[in-house]
Order: sequence, then structure tokens, then C-alpha cells
Amino acid sequence: MALFSRRSKVVAESASSDIFNKETEGLSQGQIVLKRFFRHRGAMVSLIVLFSLVTFVFSTLGFKIFGIGYGGWWKYKITDLPVLRTNGCSIELPGCPSLSLIPGKGFGLGDHPFGQDDLGRDYFSLVMRGAERSIEVMVVIGLVAAAVGIFIGAIAGFYRGWIDAVLMRINDFIITIPIIVLGGVVSYHFGNKGILFLAFFLGILSWGGLSRLVRGEFLTLREREFVDAARVAGASNRRIIFKHILPNAIGVIIVSVTLIMSGAILLESALSYLGLGVVAPDVSLGLLISQYQDSFTTRPWLFWYPGLLIIIIALCVNFIGDGLRDAFDPRQRRRISRKDRSAERAIATKK
Amino acid sequence: MSTPVLKVTELTVEFWVDGVWYPAAVNVSFEVEAGKTLAIVGESGSGKSTVAMSIMSLLAANARVTGSIKVKDQEVLGASTSLLQKYRGKEVAYIFQEPMTALNPVYTIGFQIIETLRNHFDMGPQEARNRAIELITMVEIPDPERSVDKYPHQLSGGQRQRAMIAQALACDPALLIADEPTTALDVTVQAEILDLMRGLRSRLNSGILLITHDMGVVADMADEIMVMQSGNAVEHGTADQIFNRPNHPYTQQLLASVPKLGSTQMRVLEPSQASAQPVLKLSNVTIEYPKRGRIPAFVAVEDFSLEIFPGEIVGLVGESGSGKTTVGRASIGLLPIKSGRLEVVGQDISGATNKELRQIRRNTGIVFQDPASSLNPRLPIGESIGEPLYLAGIAKDKELDKMVEDLLASVELPRSYRNRYPHELSGGQRQRVGIARALALTPDILIADEPTSALDVSVQARFLELLQDLQSKLKFACLFISHDLGVVDILSHRIAVMQNGRLVEVGNRDQILKNPQDPYTQRLLSAVPVPDPAEQKIRREARLASK
Amino acid sequence: MLAYIGRRISALLVILFGSTFLVYIAQGYSGDPSQALRGSTDPHVKAQLASLIRNLNLNVPPPARYFLWLKGVLGIFVGHFNLGLTRDRNPVSTYILEAIPVTIRLILLSTVLAILIGIGFGIISALRQYSRFDYALTFFAFLMYSLPIFWVAVLLKAYLAISFNNFLLNGSIAPTWIIVASIVSGVFWAAVISGSRQKVISIFAIAAASTGVFLALLSLTKWFTHPGLGPIMMLALGIGFAFAITFISTGLANKAALRSSLTVVVVGFVLYFPVEYFLKKYASLLTILIMLVVTIAIAIGVSFYFAKVDRRAVTRTSIITSVLAGLLFLIDKLMKTWVPYINTDAIHQRPIPTIGQRNDLLPSGNFWFSFLDSVLHLVLPTIALILISMAGYIRYSRGTMLEVLNQDYIRTARAKGLSERTVIMRHAFRNTLIPITTIVVVDIAGIIGGAIITERVFAWRGMGTLFITAIDTSDLNLLMGVSLIVSTLAVLANLVADLLYSALDPRIRVVGKK
Repeated sequence: MALFSRRSKVVAESASSDIFNKETEGLSQGQIVLKRFFRHRGAMVSLIVLFSLVTFVFSTLGFKIFGIGYGGWWKYKITDLPVLRTNGCSIELPGCPSLSLIPGKGFGLGDHPFGQDDLGRDYFSLVMRGAERSIEVMVVIGLVAAAVGIFIGAIAGFYRGWIDAVLMRINDFIITIPIIVLGGVVSYHFGNKGILFLAFFLGILSWGGLSRLVRGEFLTLREREFVDAARVAGASNRRIIFKHILPNAIGVIIVSVTLIMSGAILLESALSYLGLGVVAPDVSLGLLISQYQDSFTTRPWLFWYPGLLIIIIALCVNFIGDGLRDAFDPRQRRRISRKDRSAERAIATKK
Repeated sequence: MSTPVLKVTELTVEFWVDGVWYPAAVNVSFEVEAGKTLAIVGESGSGKSTVAMSIMSLLAANARVTGSIKVKDQEVLGASTSLLQKYRGKEVAYIFQEPMTALNPVYTIGFQIIETLRNHFDMGPQEARNRAIELITMVEIPDPERSVDKYPHQLSGGQRQRAMIAQALACDPALLIADEPTTALDVTVQAEILDLMRGLRSRLNSGILLITHDMGVVADMADEIMVMQSGNAVEHGTADQIFNRPNHPYTQQLLASVPKLGSTQMRVLEPSQASAQPVLKLSNVTIEYPKRGRIPAFVAVEDFSLEIFPGEIVGLVGESGSGKTTVGRASIGLLPIKSGRLEVVGQDISGATNKELRQIRRNTGIVFQDPASSLNPRLPIGESIGEPLYLAGIAKDKELDKMVEDLLASVELPRSYRNRYPHELSGGQRQRVGIARALALTPDILIADEPTSALDVSVQARFLELLQDLQSKLKFACLFISHDLGVVDILSHRIAVMQNGRLVEVGNRDQILKNPQDPYTQRLLSAVPVPDPAEQKIRREARLASK
Repeated sequence: MLAYIGRRISALLVILFGSTFLVYIAQGYSGDPSQALRGSTDPHVKAQLASLIRNLNLNVPPPARYFLWLKGVLGIFVGHFNLGLTRDRNPVSTYILEAIPVTIRLILLSTVLAILIGIGFGIISALRQYSRFDYALTFFAFLMYSLPIFWVAVLLKAYLAISFNNFLLNGSIAPTWIIVASIVSGVFWAAVISGSRQKVISIFAIAAASTGVFLALLSLTKWFTHPGLGPIMMLALGIGFAFAITFISTGLANKAALRSSLTVVVVGFVLYFPVEYFLKKYASLLTILIMLVVTIAIAIGVSFYFAKVDRRAVTRTSIITSVLAGLLFLIDKLMKTWVPYINTDAIHQRPIPTIGQRNDLLPSGNFWFSFLDSVLHLVLPTIALILISMAGYIRYSRGTMLEVLNQDYIRTARAKGLSERTVIMRHAFRNTLIPITTIVVVDIAGIIGGAIITERVFAWRGMGTLFITAIDTSDLNLLMGVSLIVSTLAVLANLVADLLYSALDPRIRVVGKK
């Protein structure tokens, strides 16, 4: 009888779990998330595009970290002033882009792929430097906002009570104020202290939404029985927060940080556009657009390329965020598609 | 013989998951006649709800249904949307398991009943409202004139289910499908709802298709029974046949797994243990949930006293909201007590510092109610089990792994499961991991908080067996919290009964079960349906007569 | 309930206090209004400096000066509202009062349209989950989400405004464009309505053919250079509205609602010439408002006549229909103004402007000219703002709708035999509104921020321009005036969100009462 019951139980449970958990057999939570993420075509493509773009951008002009430098493979620096290219351009439009994606003669980057500005500066190197700056700003804002947001949200959600009340009032405050106003005031005065300094400040103003989400997650998770179990096992508050609750909130955090990042790149460009962010001689994509927006009718390339780069970066980050959201949300299950139906019909008729 | 209101022939339902069709029900055939009740019984995953949903054509888009479903001779399978909309709610009505989520939270129950009426009949709003009040009166919700304008969240669980039934009965359906209608409810409320449904059946002459896992409910309601196991109907017969002469081994096993009151020998504590110092001692304990924001303070347990001796299992029984879980959680220091004295192995817990609490907790263990929530989904189960050992500084690395494997073996799980994640385990297996963790530090007292309420009966039976084995080996004391008298009956030396935060009665098992003194205990006992139609009928009539 | 509102308001006042204090301190310590003067070589520089310091209390340290400023602001309760002086010694409040209506005009229309269109598309997208339409819309939303608004604005100016103006010189559409537009329209409607393969093909054919014929007719009759609706067209459109609104609002099965809204349209049609006369004779904003009120009154009267029961649903349907029909009158009037308008010297055949909020060269005194002028100046900024802010609403309402559709009570509603329209509109949409409301209203803070940039791109003289001037010239009082208004708007939006939330969700309402 005991033997029989075990068998029947296994059959009964496997029938149900087969249907609903088939994809999770023998995989850790992380692997499931990865698998679901890889199935999201848009997110995968975006990840590849973004990764190649970042590599390309940072290798163009070179970089220096902790004394180890790489010179970059591009021949011009942003301070170089080569003569305006006339060869291949119409006479009214010297310094036109030499980039050609049509196979054949002239295919490739050429001398000035994105053209030259009115002074003759190589626009490709300017845009690459601007992209570098924009990506740096994006990452710094994302990291700072994540650090502050996670810390405040976790503390508020875990301890509740008056700590929560105080922190959430601060949070209301951060959310309610249009960031462009506070950010504008701050960055107008700190823009000249370097772009990373500015990014740090903007990060400190961007954590509002994230901390609310993290707090919400903590409020639900702390009521889960495994938290009580950990406490009974003798775990300290710190261990409960970091080992038990935080890993379970990671999905929400990652998704929200990607959204902050895509917003950050737009925020930086908007501030720079208004003249409140990055200041010359430093370069950022927003600043380039603002400097050359009036050239749109005469030399449109000065307007197109920085804009396209902003869009590509922000779009990739958004799609990656969407892919991660799908991957972390177990409720998302793909419905049967028409393709699946017809494939099934084909198999049935063969039989 | 008249035509059946529902005739299902060779129904097969499959779900498309990741490129494969998974069968959820295979070749199921049955009939329901007017005024009769057919119960479909089975454990989770047996496909019983799928069958019910396919009758309403409400399955998810990835389902494929073949066979035939006829309601009053009208083929339903593959019928047009407009036809389906005409017959849903009018010919066939559905009562869902969880009335809190099945009723729309933003509309009053009156609105939702009126909506059903006006959808199927040409009826003015005033006329429909009167009819709704009539229906609400019929399902015995107090103060119908006012209740009709209440939102679902303003009603109690039982009242919500009554509102759901009123909505289902609005159009006098020929067939009523009740999908686990009482599973979310307390036993006394369950008994009332079952009485109500039985009364309505004889008045309206509807056929009822009852979907349930609870053999007691089946015994109370069913004329005919169909037993399902992993998508197949394994046995089909009258209630008398199934309960008294089951043929299929699965049916036999299912019936054997159901705990029956008073079927086992009462366990008696050895005198040496009974005279020892109690491992858990609550004297006049009051526990209060403090005021939070605008939610006022709430006294969950009041003036509660209980002692548990070494090696003794005490069952703590009560309905939802009675404060039984609060007592359990306070006993290991997860909740502070407001007044009184709480001693664990001779140490006072009420004024203990965090450090002292940690020391005290080494002598305690707890198994939680919900296996899905009691294990950290991001940790392999080995780590969850080993955490108390690691934090107490008892073992590390290799040694810890070895101890974890031994613990796994002691709860009859393969040693290799150490690296698995909770979601890869079934509910029963997870609950055994919960025990292994609770017993890791060989505690003197184990708190078991409804450990079997989320499990199927056959899994529950094996879990209880395991717990008994471990207890007789390790001799820990246990506070076993449950709403299910049958389960408590199997395990306990003594039973304590709680109601509204107070202890109403405590005594040894036979005193409580065979000769209860307190009226609440008596009511509780009489409300429990027993899995035997004949006996249940006698009990029911006795209960109704005593009203 | 009143206590609840009171509590919320006091919390919000604290936030306002904090935010203004922070901005004041940040700007007060980092910006020096006297900097420009110190470098100057003007012989009177000393006196100027002294008067600047006196006017702006620069000898008081910022934290204390803040309270001086606050005293002026709190004067609003005793009738002496004082935001201080700008650097050129004008009261800040005059600037602000001029700028507020400009910014509100910019934000209001675009926000309302973005919300309506965004939620509409989001819900259709959720209902067609995993269809091509859903994927396309998702991609579109992400693209919009990633666009810098100032970049879009330049493109809109270059392509939409200038090309459209060029097109208007002639006013006929090339056949290739008619074909392209027909195909796009066919694909769009087929995707939105969707269904079996056959149905999709026929929808495509009908939509494409009607678009093609329609555009060809417009092109041949030179409609674009001489636009107008005329009574017949208006009646046809009005009847169309009546059917569409009734279908969405109550379902066509509700005969009372259908009859009532059709009657409203017919009444409007009968009144065509009197209304026409009225709009000409008494051209002013007040007239338009009065007519709106009259329209709604007629709609209520008609629905009371037709509906003996369920008056609320019928009245709702009639009012929406009547307002839409009323809008047709306005459009008709504007179209009649069109030809004389574009032939004025100020416009010179180029009606879609790329910058500014009004054309100052336009002869003054003609109400309809200036009305049309304002509307046309709104076109580009509104499109830009809609494109940008719509994306969020699409994504959010899609997600919420999908979540709601998975709820048990939706299954219950279907099990009751309700029609799919009732299930979606009454049960799913009503619940979807609850979370959407909060996100929409809280979003206002972001929209105001967006408006600052938009104003700059389109050279509008609103709050955004003031803000940038204030920062550029270190004009602290002006900056504080702007941020006070902006923060107040954001804070009020939050309050509205809370109130709407508790109005929409009965579960919250009860807690509020306690």
C-alpha cells in the first residue's frame, strides 16, 4: 500500500507539473531567467547591438583606466582641425560624410565617416566622444540611483514603522519634483566640475521610483514564511536582508534600473540641449544636437548622427529591460501561436 | 427516464505547452440528471477542474477539446460565441472556489446579480433589483435590503460564497457546476453552505456537478461519484458503491488516506514524561497586533494558558482568525507577547534580548503552512536545511554537507536533492524539507503550523506517517496547529480548542473528540463531514435537529 | 473623507516647503546675481550693485532669505501675494501670470490626447496579445520612448510643417501617395479589428478601398486648399459618431441609447444654420463655452425623453456623442476661416508655423483668425509631445489590461454569459483604470519637465523659457517663482491621483472613511 501510494503520487504530481513546470525541470532560477531572456528576440538583438556598439565606441578614441591606456584606432582626435574635405562633396557642402554602406567603390568608413563641422573638426570622433560621455553618464546615473534606491527601499520595507514613514516622505519629495528643474539647477552649477560629477548628482535625484518598488517587494517578501524560517534559524537582520530578501527582489531591481538608464541618457541630452548639462569643450550627444540643430537644412549629417546614436542606445536598453521583465515574470507564458497550430496540424495529417 | 441535463461523451482536453500537447483529461464520459448531484473527485492535477471549465468553454487559448458535451441535448462544443453567451449563466451556472477573487471588487454584489439577470431576461432595473434581493434572501445573507449594496470586501468569506451562489442561481440554471465551493471556507461555514446547496437543489430541481478533493463533502452531497486520476476517470458509480465497495486501487487508496475521527488508538504519554518540567509553558498570555497607521490595535490572543511536556504532541485546533497561528509564532519568539508569561525549556521568552532569543530558538523548530513560501526560492534546499547548523556554528563546509545529506535521508528524500531548488520539488517533498530544517538542531519542541493543509490527502497521509516516525525516534514535543480535526486526531496526545483568541477547551484526545463539554467544540465536531454517506446523513440530521 | 483630504494636503505642503527650500539653497549658494556687474566697467557699477543688493536682499544669507521669500508667498492667505522682484525690478508674478496660460495650453491638449490614444492602443494591443499588431505597437512604443523630444521636433519642423505647407500650395495628392495611404489604412484596420483570415482580408479591402476613394475625392475637389464640411458631411459623420459611441459605451443592443444619441445628432443638424449665425455674430470664447453647455443640456434632455430606465448609461452616451458633434461645428467654422486666413499677408500661404505660440503680424480683432492661429501653432508641439508621452501609456495600459484579463472575476463575467464587449469594457477596463489613474497623474511631473524642453525647441514664451532665463541670469526670485508653480502643479496632480484612486476603488474608499 505504501509502495503503491508513492507511485500514484508521482504519477499525479508529474502530470500536473509536466504541464505547468515543464520548462523548469532541473534548472536553477537563474538559468530559467536566462532561458526566457534568450527567447525574447528583441532583447537578444538589442544586447548584441549594444555590446558591439559600446566596444566600438570606446575603442575608437581609446581610453585610460588606472594607468593602463589604449590609444584608439581612429586617426583624428576631437581637437584636430583637418582641412574640409571637398573631394566627393558638392561645392556648397564641403565636409560631407564619407560613410558608405553600399558595396562597391567607396564602401567603408572613408576619411570622415560622419563628415566635418564648420571648423573642419572630424565629426566621427566628436560623436564617438559624445557617445562615450553619454554612456558613462548613463551607467553612473544607473549605478548611483540603484545603490541609493535599493538601500532606502530595503531599509524602509524591512523595518517599516517610523523609519519607513520618514524615508517614504523623502521619496514622495523626490518623485514629486520635476527632475529637470532640480537637475537643471544642480547641473548648471556643477556641469563644469566634470561630467561624472554631474552624473553622480543626477543619480542622487533619480532613485525615487526604484526605491518605491524595492520597498513594495520587501514589504511582501518579509511576510513570506522563509523569512521567518531564516529568523528562527538564527539569521541576523543583515543576513535576512541581503541573503534572503534581496536576491528575490532582483528581478524588479534589474528591470527598473534599465528603465532609469534609458531615461538617464535622455535626461542628460535634454539638460545639455538646454545648456544646463555638459559644457564645451567637453562633448555629449545632447550638446552636439543643440550646437548643430540649425544646420539641419544645410548640413543635416551634423544633426542625424548624434540623434541616431542616442536612439540606438536608449532603444537597446529599453528592449533589454523588456526582455528581462518577461524573463523574471513567471506569469508570462507564451500563448499558442498560429504557427504552432499549423505545425501541429501538419504533424497530425502526416500520421 | 428523462434526458440528462448534461451529457459528456469521450471528452479529451489537451494543452499545448512548448511544442507538445499535454493531455489534461482523456476520454471522460458522464451524465448529470436534473435534481441529482454528480461529484468528480480527484487530487490536484487530476483534470477535474479542466473538465468543468470545458463545459463552459472557458479554457485557455492553448487548449484543444474533442468529444461531445451536450447540455439539454444541445451540443456545446464548438458552438458559436453568441450561442455560448446565451447558455452560459442561464442554462449552466458556475460557482468558483475563491469568492474573494471571483467577484469583481469594484461592483456591489447586487449589481453583479442584477447584471446576470438583465443579461438573460428582458427586465427593468427595479424588477431585477427586487429579484436580486429575493435571491440574497434565499441564500440567507443577513439584512438583504442593505447587503445588496455591499461590495465583496465588505462581506465575510461565507457570505461572499453565498452571494456567488445567488448570482449562479439568478436564472434558474438547469445545471450548476460547483468547483471546490467550500475549500476556502471554515468547517462550520462549509457545513452551512453545503446545507444551503442541498436545500436549493431540492427546491430548484437543478443538476449539480460538484468538483472537489474532499471525501467528506462528497459523502455529504453526492448521488453519483466519478473518481479521476491524472486525467482519467478511473471509477464511476453511485455514492454507496464508491464508498463501500470501491473497485479501483486508486479509489481504495484515496479513501484509506482520508483521516477518520476516532479511528486510531489514543496515544498515551508515559508517566515519567508527564511529570517532567514542561518544554513549553504559556501562562495567561495575551498577544496583540499593535496599531499600524490607521489600523487599530487588534488583540489576537487573550489570556491563553497551555503546557506541553517532553515528548508530547498537543493539537491546537480552531477556525481561521481564532489566533492559533499567532500562538505558534509567539512560542518561538516571532511575535512579542503583551502580557503573561511564556517559557520555552524553562527560559522566559517575553523579555529576552535578541541574543537570548537566538539561544532559545536553538531548542525550537517550526514547520510552516505553505510549502511554496516557506523555502527561499533562490537557495538550493541544502542551504536552507543547513542554515540553522551553519549559523549556530555547529558545522561548516564538508561536514555541513554531510549533516544536510543525513537530514535529507531522515525525511526520506534522496541525498542528491541537496542541490535542487524548491520549485523542482513537489509540495509534499518541500514540506519534508521543511521538517528536515526544523529538526536540524534536534529541538526539544517543534511547532507545526498547518503543515498539511496545502497537501493532497494521499501526500498528507504519508507526511503524517513520517512525522510520527520521527517523533517516536527523536522524542521531541510538538505543538501541532491545524483546522482539520481528523489530522489532529491521528497525532495528538492532547487537544486544545481555540475560538476568537481564547482557549475554550483542552483535554486528552478522547475527552475532546468523544465527550466535548464546550458548545463550540461540539459545533465544530458536528460540522466535520465524514467520508461515509450513511453516517454523514445521520450526523447531518442530528446537527440540523439540534439547531 | 474631508479629514483624509486635509491630511493629504498637509503632507503635500510639507513636500512643497522642502522642495522650494532645496532649490532656493542650491541656487542661492551657487549662483551669484551680481557676478555680471562686478566685471562691468560702467562708472555707476557701485550704485547698481548697491541697489541690486537692496532689492534682492542679497546681504541676507540664503537660508534666512528663503524665509523672507516664503513670507511673501504666504501672503496669498492675507491677500498680499508677493513673489519678489526680478533682477530688472519687475514683479515676478507678472511674468508668471503671463507664462502659465501658455504652458497650460501646451500641456493640456497634448496630455489629454496622449492619454486617450495611449490607453486606447494599449488596450487593443493587450486584447491582441502576441499578434503582429501587438509586436508592431510594442516596437513603436519603445522607439518613441527612446526619442529625444528636441530631435523629433526638428524633424517635425523640417518634414511635417515645411512639406505640408508646400503641399498646400497645390493641394492635390500624387496617385502613389494615395495608394500608399490606402494600403497603410487597410493594414491598420485589419490589424486592429482582426479575426479569421477571411475577415481580415475583407476588412483590409474595405478599409483600403474607402481610404483610396476618399483621398482621391478630396484631391480632385481641391478640398485641401478649400476645406469645409458642410451640413451633409457633418450629418454623416455625426451619425457615425452616434453608432460608434453607442457601441463602445452601452452596446448597440441598447435601443434607447442609440435612439437618443441619433436624435442629438439630428437636432444638431437641424440647428446648423442658427448655430452658424451665432458663431459668426458673437464670436468669442464665451460663446463657444455657452454652446457647449447648451449642447450638453440638450443631450441630457433628449436622453431623459428616450430612457425610462438606466438613464445614466444613456445620458453618458448622448453627452459624449453631442460633444463630438459639437466639435464638428467648431471644425467646420475653422475650415471656413481657413481660406481668408492663409491669404492674409502675415500667413502668406504657409499656415503651419514652426515656432512661436502666435503670429504677431496677424491683424487683430478677428476672433476666428486668432483662434485658428492658436490652433495651428499648437499642431507641431502637440504632435511632438503626444508621440513622446503616448509610449508610456501604451506600455502601461497594455500591461495592466493583461493582468486584469487574467483575474478570476473576468472568468466569472464570461461564465455569466456576458457579451465580450461588456466583459472588456465594464469588468476589465473599469479595473484597469485604477492603476492607470495613478500613473497618469503622477506622470504630470514628467510632462511639465518635458514641456520645458518643448517650449525651448518651438520658441514658446512659457514657464520653460522663464526657467532657463532665470538660471542663465542667476535670477533667484524668478527661478523660485517658476519652481513654486511647477512643484505646486506636480503636488496637486498627486493629490488628484490619490482622490481619483479612492473614488475608483471601493476598497480604498472604506479605509478612507475610517
